[in-house]
Order: sequence, then structure tokens, then C-alpha cells
Amino acid sequence: MSNSQIIVGLEIGTSKVCVVVGEVNDNQVANIIGLGQSKSRGVRKGEIVDSSVVEEDVRNAIVEAEHMADVEIQSVFLGVTGSHMRGFNNTGVHPVVSADREINDADIQDVIKNAKAVNLPSDHSVVHVIRQHFSVDGQDGILNPEGMLGAKMEVDVHVVSGRYNRLQNPIRLVSGLHLQVENIAFNGLASSLATLSTEQKELGTLVIDLGAGTTDYAIYSGGVIKHTGVLAVGGDHVSNDLAYGLKVPLGRAEQLKVDNGSAVIDPESKNRMLDLSTDNIVPGKKVNLNHLQMIMSLRLREIFELIANDIDQAGLINYLRAGVVLCGGGARTPHITKLARDIFKLPAAIGRSSTVSGIKNALDEPEFSTSIGLIKFGAFQSQAIPKREGLGRAIRKQFVSLFGGRK
Amino acid sequence: MKNPDYPDNPVIRFIGIGGTGVNLVEKLAMIGLQGVESHSVDTDNRSLSNCHQSKTLLLGKAIPCGLGAGGDVALARAAVESDRDHLLRLVSCADLVFVIAGMGGGTGTEAASFVARLAKEAGALVVGVAATPFNCEGSRRGNKAAGGIRDLKQSADIVFHFSNEEVMHITGTEISLNNALEIANRHLCESVLGLSRMLIEPGLLNVSFSDLRDSMTGRHSLGSTLCVEGVGENLAADAMGKILSHPAARMGKALSEATTLLVHLSGGDNLSLAEINTFVESISSHAPDIDLVIGASGTGSNNVLQVILIIVQKSNSKASLIQTNLSKNLTENETLDLNYPENFISSGENSYIGLGAESKGANRVRFAYTPPAPTVETITPEMKDNLLEAAAKQEPNRKKRKEIKQEMLPLEIISKGRFEKIEPTIHKGEDLDQPTYIRRGRMLN
Repeated sequence: MSNSQIIVGLEIGTSKVCVVVGEVNDNQVANIIGLGQSKSRGVRKGEIVDSSVVEEDVRNAIVEAEHMADVEIQSVFLGVTGSHMRGFNNTGVHPVVSADREINDADIQDVIKNAKAVNLPSDHSVVHVIRQHFSVDGQDGILNPEGMLGAKMEVDVHVVSGRYNRLQNPIRLVSGLHLQVENIAFNGLASSLATLSTEQKELGTLVIDLGAGTTDYAIYSGGVIKHTGVLAVGGDHVSNDLAYGLKVPLGRAEQLKVDNGSAVIDPESKNRMLDLSTDNIVPGKKVNLNHLQMIMSLRLREIFELIANDIDQAGLINYLRAGVVLCGGGARTPHITKLARDIFKLPAAIGRSSTVSGIKNALDEPEFSTSIGLIKFGAFQSQAIPKREGLGRAIRKQFVSLFGGRK
Repeated sequence: MKNPDYPDNPVIRFIGIGGTGVNLVEKLAMIGLQGVESHSVDTDNRSLSNCHQSKTLLLGKAIPCGLGAGGDVALARAAVESDRDHLLRLVSCADLVFVIAGMGGGTGTEAASFVARLAKEAGALVVGVAATPFNCEGSRRGNKAAGGIRDLKQSADIVFHFSNEEVMHITGTEISLNNALEIANRHLCESVLGLSRMLIEPGLLNVSFSDLRDSMTGRHSLGSTLCVEGVGENLAADAMGKILSHPAARMGKALSEATTLLVHLSGGDNLSLAEINTFVESISSHAPDIDLVIGASGTGSNNVLQVILIIVQKSNSKASLIQTNLSKNLTENETLDLNYPENFISSGENSYIGLGAESKGANRVRFAYTPPAPTVETITPEMKDNLLEAAAKQEPNRKKRKEIKQEMLPLEIISKGRFEKIEPTIHKGEDLDQPTYIRRGRMLN
């Protein structure tokens, strides 16, 4: 145990707060050893709206995870999301100035620094700068230019940014619980880290994390992140639509969604009534199953269509040769893969957190993919830290090197 | 009622309305069919100043001041209403009035149905002849044209309709704009001329005006005129073959779907009864239970059998066909073009090709067109009955009638429930927090 490192992923989601404890051994393989979760009450659309109850929820989840893993949690990797987050691609240029024209590490750091200098709105700050490819004197597709000769070096990066204040809210909340936030990661990125294999990243995959408050998505192609996005619409909207359309309380609507929901309208549902009279909500209340499925199917279809439009605009739809991977609680909806296949015209599957080992039932649940992905993210970070620290690099810079194809 | 110069012939008037209509009437007037009066009516002084053969009438001297309506339907309507008396004089004492207009602009679209209504009220048989724009002229124009045709159909007894777009289906897209318009014009002119000649030419067996009247009055349907010439050894068979291969006949389908066919055969002195017989039999074989009116004359040239065939369609066979079989129609036409391109492109002066009804204005039907509100004076109880009847005829089968969708009025304030007080998710102006099924207008029932 002495050589292993404990990494904790914390996701403050809209429906639940989830803590996953991972143990990273000498070989940098993560193993899940603990899991804690509690119902989230103070989060809407992925962002905190009531700090005091969220604080309580986080504490409960942490305690549960500590018990299960039998460790004391001191620091966490925190997942963030929200409609304010943006993902875009940028290019940085740097002339190689050294006399022998050999590209050294300082050049690489400089070019990435240039790429990071993007024109962000004043209230935005950068969450991730993920390098995609270098190009040296016009030669594209170079993964690591160190040691090569060249006069001009360029780098393509994917930048994820968000509003500074809104990013700080969960960080401050967690810090208030005497937990150190080692780093933050965009939820869509974390989910993709947990669910995608190297081949899938190489072939091109769209990962959609169907959360309760937000739907986060990320596209990998050629081994690097090409596109990320957040849609502040999620499972909560489905429940809300159902509550409105079927005229039942929100909690009951949520239950109906879980018990009878479907992403596509089942032709046999026509004229089938669900009897809710036993629930003591309204005596004799009945709802039409067909209506329920129609409301749900329209909402989910819309979410996928909005994502499909966005990808289409980014011109990436033809790069997704490995199809679509769905995760998050929404991925549990029956027939959701069929709907995704219909809309994206691509193979679709439910993501498994197969890239880490550990508690079997935690890995199989699509809800935990973000938290598990945070552990993976943390493992990369801590793997990098000792090396980089030895070289005296600033911590910020490690981010950059993590996802550039080198693991 | 009768023209003193030609006491035996019905009084026929061509009224061209709007730029296209004026242009066409000028062409028709140039051919100089005897006993026919041509009138050009427009709001634009410029187009009327080019008229030399027809009598002109400038609409709306007070409102657009001879500057044209510029596509403004409301302006055209004001102009046409202010000149109601002049127009009434134009259509009075006529037996047959052709209202010729290009749809999609201002004057033609609006005034055509108005003039047709006046003519109808004055007791004439009204034949609308309408050209509709190319698809590339934009959906707004196409939409207006579709509405114009509908209005015209309601006031006229029959409408011969030719879409410019159709020229492309016949000739391909390589044709120059000038030629395309020329072909479109020729088809429309031939529809008109064919019908007029049928009435005017002295015949052995006459198609009389009353036949025409019987078969068309009150139909409010689309129709088409086919003019072909049979040559060679077997005149009748050749002519029949050409009719069947004509786009407007749709491989003979249009014949079987029609309610009435008026056939006029014109041959030389030696036109034999056998030939007429053969021809009529082959027509009957394609359209077994149909009202067939036959006329024949022997004034033409020998060894050529000119056939004018007028198809009067059921009030709505066309529209439903358009909706269901559009793609099929297109392919049919394309195959036809391959077989007989030279026939249609290089047809000379004497061959009349009327493609009137074969409409590719089809894809415009789906546009929701709001006709201008009828004024009190224009709707008489009788007309109301007619309109209702026409509407009922449009689709006798209740089930097949296009479902009228009742849109939901945004009166209900949709509660956003859980998302009431937090930042809304707005995507392209749409509030995604509201239930999708409500935004998409789906009803739960």
C-alpha cells in the first residue's frame, strides 16, 4: 500500500453527489476501492443553487466513500459543468529561435502558451488546454516535436473554458469542507476518459453524458479531443415535461420515467393506461403510457438533434467511425441506443468504465462514468506531477501535456 | 350577344393581365385569329406601351399611377377594384373569355381571379390560362402563384396551367432562359388557340360552343389542351401515339381520369370516316366511361390529321395526384422526354402543344397561402354555395381530405416547473426548458 496513491473523484451532479475513491498503484493502473453517493438537492442544470444543502450532500457522500474505502479523503478531483462552459479549437504559433533550430522543451511550452492566449471574455477562465497536433514548418500531424528541426512550430489545441465565478462556486464549497481541490475537469471530458478505449479515441467517437441537469459531450478523433460541448438540458427536463404533461407531481414523474420510460414510442403502448390510484396522489388517477413515451421521446430526440446539429456545424460527423457512446443516468433509458442510432446514423452503445478496474457494479453503471473518469484524470495528473516537479515546471503546464496522445 | 361580323361564331375575348399576360395576348393577337378580340390589362404603363395588336387598359390610374404593382398583391387589388367598371365593360357581351395571366407577381395573381369573376358574372364561359414561375424564382413567388391559381380556379370554369419549371423537365436545364420562356409561352398560346380554333373552324361535325359550355361550366377544375398532328400512313394511330406520349396525357392516365374529352379532328378533303372511327375507338379504349365530344373538319391539308384534344379533369384529380405522385410524375416525364424530345422542342408553327394541366407548381401546394379576405360585395350567397360546393368537391373522400391542423394559441402560460427561477436554456431563441412536445405543437389526446 505504501507505494499506491489514493485519488478521489467528486462529481456534484444535479441528481446525485458522487464520490469515487481510486487507488493508483506503481504501474499507474487505477483501481476503484470505494464509492459514496447521496441525493443532490441544491443543484440545477449542473450548477449549485443552494450551497448549504449541497455542502451537506457532499459531506454525506464523502463520509460514505471513506467508510467503504477505509481511507481518509484529503483531496479530490472535481468535475465541473454548466451552460457557461465552452469548448473550441485554437492554434498557437512559435518561431524556433535557438541557433541549431532544434526544438526543445521550452519551445514546446512556448507554443502551447501562445495557443492558450485566446481571446476569452474577461469573465472566462481556461479549464483545459488539450494539445492535439503539432506542425513543424507546415508538416502536420506531429505528436511530439521535441528534438526535431524546424523554423516555425504550430500547435492545435482544444480549449475548454468557463466563467470564472461559476467555476469557483463548487471549488469554494469543497474547500469549505476542508478538502483540497487538486484540480477541476470538465465532466464531458472525464466521462470520455472513463469510457473510451484507445482504439475508440483513434477511430473517432462521440461520448454523450446524459446527466440530469446537463448533457455534456466530447468528440475524440485521431486520438485527440476535437470538440466538446454542454447542453443545459437533461433528465430533469424529461421529468419536468412529464410532470407538466401528465399532471403528476415531479417526484412521481421521475418515478414514472424510471419505471415506464422509453426513448422511442412503443407501438404497443397505445391506449395503455397506468393506474396511479394506489399512490395516494389523486384517487383514480391514470396516465396514458403512450403520452408518457411520446413526451419523453420528443425531449430525448431533441437533445440528440441539437448535439447532431452542433457536430454537423463543427464538420465532425464524418469522423465518428467508432460511433456514439452514451453514459450518465440518461443512458439507462430503454431503447436510448436505438434513438441515438436513428438520429446520428451511427452505431451507438452504452459506455462502460472499462478503462479502470475495481468494484464491478460501480463500473457497470453508466452514472458513475464521470466520477471514474475523474480518477483517471487524477491518475494522469499525479503521474505527471513527480516528473514535472523534478524538472521544475509550473503545475499549469502539465494539463497540456496530458491528453496530447501521450499517456 | 353575337358578334355581327361573325354571326355564327361565339364571341371570344382574350384578356391578358399583368406583364406575362399582356405578352401572351400580344403574341396571340399577332396570330390574328378571326373573330377574336384581344385586350391587354396591366397596372404598368411600360408593358402596355409595347402592345400594338391588342386593345389596352391601364388599371389603377390613381393608385400605382401606371408604375406597376411591383408584386404587391394589395396594391394590385386596390387598382383592379378601382377600375371595376372598365373591366366589366371589357367582359360584357362575350361568350367565351380567356383570362391569361402569369402567376406570382402582383397584377396577374390578383387581377386574374377578379376579372374571371366579373366575366363569370357577366355570363361568359371563363377559361383561365396561367403560367407559374420557375422554382428558382423563390418560394415566396411560388407560394403566391399557387394561391393565385387556386383563386383563379374558383372563379373560372376551367384553368389551363403551365409551369415554367416544366420547360426544364421537357428540355433539360441546358436551355437558355429566353428559349425556355419562349417554349412556355408557346404551350400556353397553343392551348388557347387550339380551343379557339375548335370553335371557330367550320366543321363537318361541329364541336359547338354549347358542348364546351356543358363540359366546362361550373367545373372549377384544371384542364389541358393537346394539339398533335398525325402523319404518315396511318394517321389516326400516329396521332394517338403522340397524344399518349404527350406529357400532359401522362401515358394516357389523364385521359382515363378526365370527366370530359373534347376531340376535334381536322384533316384534308379525303378525311375518311374510317380514320375518325379508328381514332375515336382508340381514345375510348383509354377512357372507357367518359363524356366524349367529337368534332371534325375537312379544311386542313391532306395526309395530315390535326387533333385538338381538350381534357377536362375531375375537379380535383389533379391536386391529389400532385400530392401523392409527385416524384412518380417527375420520373414519368423524364422518361417521356427521352423518347420525344425533338417533338416538343422543335415543334413548328403548326403544331400546338398544350401542356396546360401538367403542373409542376405541385411542390408549391404545401405552402399555406392566405387568400385576401373577400369583400362583402364580392361574395353573394350563390357564390358562397359555389365555394362550399367546390371545397366539397376538392376531396369528396372525407378521410383523404388534408387534415387541418389546429395550432395552439400561446395563451396558456406554460409553467417551467423546476426551472422556473433559474437561468433559462435558450437555444436559437427557443426556451428549451419548456416541454418539447408543447414547442413542437404535439397534442396529447
